[in-house]
Amino acid sequence: MADPRTIETIDLRKSFGTTEALRGLDLDVPAGSIFGFLGRNGAGKTTTIKILLGMTRPTAGRARVFGLPADAPESSVEIRRRTGFVSEDKELYEYMTVDEIVRFTAAFYPKWHRDLEQRYLRAFELPLAGRIKALSRGARTKLALLLALCRGAELLVLDEPTSGLDPAVTEEVLQALVAHVASQETTVFFSSHQIAEVDQIADRVAIVDRGRAVVAGELEELRERYRRIQLVFDGGAPQPAFRAPGVERMRREGRVLTVLSSAGADRIIDEARALNPVSVDVVPVTLKEIFLETVSAED
Amino acid sequence: MLWRKSWLETRTRFLIGLFLLLLLAAGNVLEYPRVSALIPAARSLDTGGGALGGLIRKAVELQHDYRGFIWWQWFRQNLTQMWTLFAVLLGTGGLLSQTSGGAASFTLSMPVSRTRVIGIRAATAVAELLALALVPSLLLPLLSPAVGQSYAVADALVHGACVFAAGLIFFSLAFLLSSVFDDIWRPALMACVVAVVLAIGEQIVADGSRYGIFGAMTAEVYFRTGGLPWPGLFVSAAASAAMLYGAAINIAETDF
Repeated sequence: MADPRTIETIDLRKSFGTTEALRGLDLDVPAGSIFGFLGRNGAGKTTTIKILLGMTRPTAGRARVFGLPADAPESSVEIRRRTGFVSEDKELYEYMTVDEIVRFTAAFYPKWHRDLEQRYLRAFELPLAGRIKALSRGARTKLALLLALCRGAELLVLDEPTSGLDPAVTEEVLQALVAHVASQETTVFFSSHQIAEVDQIADRVAIVDRGRAVVAGELEELRERYRRIQLVFDGGAPQPAFRAPGVERMRREGRVLTVLSSAGADRIIDEARALNPVSVDVVPVTLKEIFLETVSAED
Repeated sequence: MLWRKSWLETRTRFLIGLFLLLLLAAGNVLEYPRVSALIPAARSLDTGGGALGGLIRKAVELQHDYRGFIWWQWFRQNLTQMWTLFAVLLGTGGLLSQTSGGAASFTLSMPVSRTRVIGIRAATAVAELLALALVPSLLLPLLSPAVGQSYAVADALVHGACVFAAGLIFFSLAFLLSSVFDDIWRPALMACVVAVVLAIGEQIVADGSRYGIFGAMTAEVYFRTGGLPWPGLFVSAAASAAMLYGAAINIAETDF
């Protein structure tokens, strides 16, 4: 039976000298998902992507793509044959023209979509005869995306695909991505620290901080599970030790105790009521709030 | 397509080298009438003793005929020196130096092994270096009738091949250093320093030019006896192979 996971990492670790970039990263990316890989700058996103594509070797742990070990040179070539990639810097060969780099890339991929190529060339208004070094950052990003999308890839790995782009081009790129995924059977794994765009297109997310996944799951499920419970007391707020699981973070500010729960909010509320608060408010939280709470909780 | 990419990356250096070497080769041939007119006067000069005097006497003696003039001016000096410089320049660059620009990520995302990427890069440069050694040398027999002389095509090919085969060691050294340093200047500078030290060393050490790398490149033994400088060629080939292998291992092991 085919592995339902396109990407799997288990206790993945990577050190550069004394710096630990990844500290036991566990990820599961199901086939067909649009997976947002969120994290602050330096959280380990790019290192993870480089390991998945065989550009960097892990220090320990396991990384598999399509069920193939990412650190074995032969299987890494096979992984890359089935993967489209857009790097964070979008640097391409500056000495080539748009047409040359399209021909160059197409030669490596037997499933290259000539029809998509023509469509994206028109949609992105890329000049075929234009030198890459003369392209704007936005045009370069669109070209990098075209080169990734037309490969007929089963997996798209996009490292900060919209970084440095203005809002209009960002929207254009995201729309192209969503339209592409809707028409092709593709898994998308994209890293970003732009929460809004992950929220806009992802169906699953992982939040990585300091080399570890601190939150992972389906976006809808996370939105369902996570709750902010706000308790107001007559006097100073107590500092209770909740027995119920799922308490991610507690913050006391004067008479107010705020609890962020990742599961079992009802049990936490039951326990909270025993503390005799004046009021109890339970509100859903956004992905941005989950991100900020979980990442800052690590500080 | 990787061949084309390698060609696009190296063509500027190659074409500049080819242009300069063709210009120098033509200049050498066309200069012959003026030099040959000076030889009788040069023979009567008192060059004194010492290594320098000996070298001047040797130069004058060898250049009394056209074949000696070509060997001394072209194969012993201009071609060997300029070719070595371009061998070093063509050996620099590659995957590691593209890391800072970011294009290395694009190359490494392609479904090809690193060994294949740098193997094709090396093979392209080696082919260009072969052309840099042979094409300008073959201009000599072509242009020689213009000064009323002739030069054997076989001599041009053998000397050019010796420059190429023995001199590949400098390309391989620059290529190896480029797998260690992520810029093009340090490998180029270090390889040039090694070349200069070797050249000076071969001049200082007794019989150095007979057994050294530059001795093999200039192929004085072929010029004088018709034999080939096998020891130098063998040493250079073995060292080049080892350094290219080392570069392949380095790149395969590098975290990008």
